[in-house]
Amino acid sequence: MEKQEVTILKIKTLHFGEIEIENDKIFHFPDGLLGFEKFNNFVLINHEETEPLRWLISIDDPTIGFPLINPWMVDIKYNPGKNIDLETEAAFVVITLGNKERVMTANMKAPLVLGVETREGRQIVMSSDKYSTKQPVIHTTSEEV
Amino acid sequence: MLVLSRKVGEVVTIGNSIEITVISYDRGVVRLGINAPKSIAVHRKEIYDKIAETNKESSNVEFDMLKDLLKNTAISSIGSEKNKLEHLAIHNTKKD
Repeated sequence: MEKQEVTILKIKTLHFGEIEIENDKIFHFPDGLLGFEKFNNFVLINHEETEPLRWLISIDDPTIGFPLINPWMVDIKYNPGKNIDLETEAAFVVITLGNKERVMTANMKAPLVLGVETREGRQIVMSSDKYSTKQPVIHTTSEEV
Repeated sequence: MLVLSRKVGEVVTIGNSIEITVISYDRGVVRLGINAPKSIAVHRKEIYDKIAETNKESSNVEFDMLKDLLKNTAISSIGSEKNKLEHLAIHNTKKD
């Protein structure tokens, strides 16, 4: 039988210092992320300086973390089809920064799917050619607003 | 690596549920037909490599540059309600 009690785990992250995590907040990725197959346990962090992004931080190696964004904030018509059951799962996409231009891009081709109840995660690759691995996150400077 | 020779129209099976058929061969291009259960993802390897590369870049994102960019970026929250998981993230406030 699994214990019901909540245990607290402390991890030392690269950007946010030491963070306390309740064990029921952990997401298990049986296959890891592509290129990170051996990293299987993560926690989702919402850091106030980088709102509205979220961070997927590895528990196995807390120096590894991925900035994420809600894909519908990048493309309101984003349609991952049957890959995701929106009743029980949520999706995030991985953020990268352009090398030259200062622009955020999001990997709309390979979303992370997280089970709300199951606490299981996976990175899927969509068959459709419609979505790019580096879709610019359209932004406006505050002057232009 | 197991190497097999197949003619056009011939099939290779992997396990009980995967079949790969050589559809055609023309000027160095082989077309394959793949039958596999839905649970098995089939993609060109370049796509996987590209995504792995993107993940690596993401894990190396320069934190300060990202913070700066976000200051000048107005990301609309329209559409965000499609996701149910927002409240499951751990909130972390800035520590000086």
